[in-house]
Amino acid sequence: MESLLNGFEAFQRYYLNWQIIQETFPLLLRTLPIVGQLLVFSMFFSFVLGLVLSLMRLSRLRAFRWFAGAYVDFFRGLPLLLNFVFVYSGLAIVGAASGLRFLILPSIIAAVLSLSTTYAAYSAEVFRAGIESIHRGQMEAARSLGMTYAQSMRYVVLPQAIKIVIPPLTNEFIALIKDTSLASVISVQELLFTAKEKMGVVANPTPLMVAAFVYVIFTIPLIRLAARLEKKQERGSKGGRPTGGDTTSALIPADIAAQLPKGGGPLPL
Amino acid sequence: MTTASTMIELQDVHKSYGHLEVLRGIDLQVTKSEVVVVIGPSGSGKSTMLRCLNALEPIQRGTILIEGIDITDSKTNVNRVREKIGMVFQSFNLFPHKTALENIMLAPHKVKKQPHGEVQKIAYDLLVKVGLSEKADCYPDQLSGGQQQRVAIARALAMQPDMMLFDEVTSALDPELVAEVLNVMKDLALGGMTMVVVTHEMGFAREVGTRMIFMDEGVIVEESHPREMIANPREERTKKFLGMVL
Repeated sequence: MESLLNGFEAFQRYYLNWQIIQETFPLLLRTLPIVGQLLVFSMFFSFVLGLVLSLMRLSRLRAFRWFAGAYVDFFRGLPLLLNFVFVYSGLAIVGAASGLRFLILPSIIAAVLSLSTTYAAYSAEVFRAGIESIHRGQMEAARSLGMTYAQSMRYVVLPQAIKIVIPPLTNEFIALIKDTSLASVISVQELLFTAKEKMGVVANPTPLMVAAFVYVIFTIPLIRLAARLEKKQERGSKGGRPTGGDTTSALIPADIAAQLPKGGGPLPL
Repeated sequence: MTTASTMIELQDVHKSYGHLEVLRGIDLQVTKSEVVVVIGPSGSGKSTMLRCLNALEPIQRGTILIEGIDITDSKTNVNRVREKIGMVFQSFNLFPHKTALENIMLAPHKVKKQPHGEVQKIAYDLLVKVGLSEKADCYPDQLSGGQQQRVAIARALAMQPDMMLFDEVTSALDPELVAEVLNVMKDLALGGMTMVVVTHEMGFAREVGTRMIFMDEGVIVEESHPREMIANPREERTKKFLGMVL
């Protein structure tokens, strides 16, 4: 019993040291603008790049499909931590050696670039799934009215697809919040970096607990929001899309449809 | 062969999905203001033929001329040709994120670049024509199947096409909603619209059709006036099919 008490006391001293919590908390709050910048820019660029990649992946042009496929596979396989190191140190070394000094990036820009490139790969998959979930009759109806492929995508398919991918994108945003902490390895003065610094100064890991607390507090509302959006979508999809009718069978006789590849993505007409 | 009033001409059209040949040599001419009714068992290729007419499906052999323009020619801008051809689908395919009025307005606005006010007036007039003016601001999921299909017809008409294709447009409807859609189509036919109609509605075919085509296994088996074909089918296969649907 006494040893258990000793253990608890030690835990409290090293991880929940009240004195250090009080010192650390305001320090960490001051890093929030940097975390916010990482988030906003990375989200924006990964969204745009992801959308472009998904459209390339569904393109008629084989070169586009190949490039987008290779990009997505590579960045989904590459650990984000290594991406940070390559973009920051790797480019800097090349930049210094070749005289192309613009390659020597400030750490925060390198961090945004790393997060954006990796998250674009995830977003591309989400967008692709969203676009493919739109019944192909939508694309056909638009094309039959004389609209081009681009117009049909822009005005008919994408508005519906983006609505569908909002919940999964919210989940990605949550993951992104946590992954901004990896920017600490390239010395971006964000939340985890500052917590680790403080940990060194006070020779006590309590600042890590404070950091953990801040991450959790900020993500919980978003987790709730994502769950709500998902539920709302499920309800909506039951009565919401009667205009689809039955899928491929409506367009192509069943015996023929059975021999076609599954998944009614929009036809590259 | 081709005269000035030939709207659609198919010459030896072949279409396959992989090894499966769905159309095996179709020859057909449709002249202005004709209402051609296409019947045949499921899988006979009638819907596929219709979809080939506005290049929703590519063909492997043969030629399709729309008002004399070869749509199988890679130099042809299919989008321009599709503006002349209205198409209505079995599954309606209304845009669910747009209201009835917006569904109708989208293509004239974006493709023909007509000004917003003008398009709105055209769209509204068309809704009046199909009897749905009070539903202008409804979204598709607030409309019945018959209403959705009437909006879909109005949407196709908004591009002021020279001809209309109907792909089993009443097959997905509850029986009591079929008549309202057929009535709109009847009005169109009486107005002189050139129409190709894939349907099982024999009453409509008899009353409105100017020519009837029976397809089976990817070929046109028999062709005559609807009343004639329904009363005296020449071919055995036609007899058998009509015996089942009538």
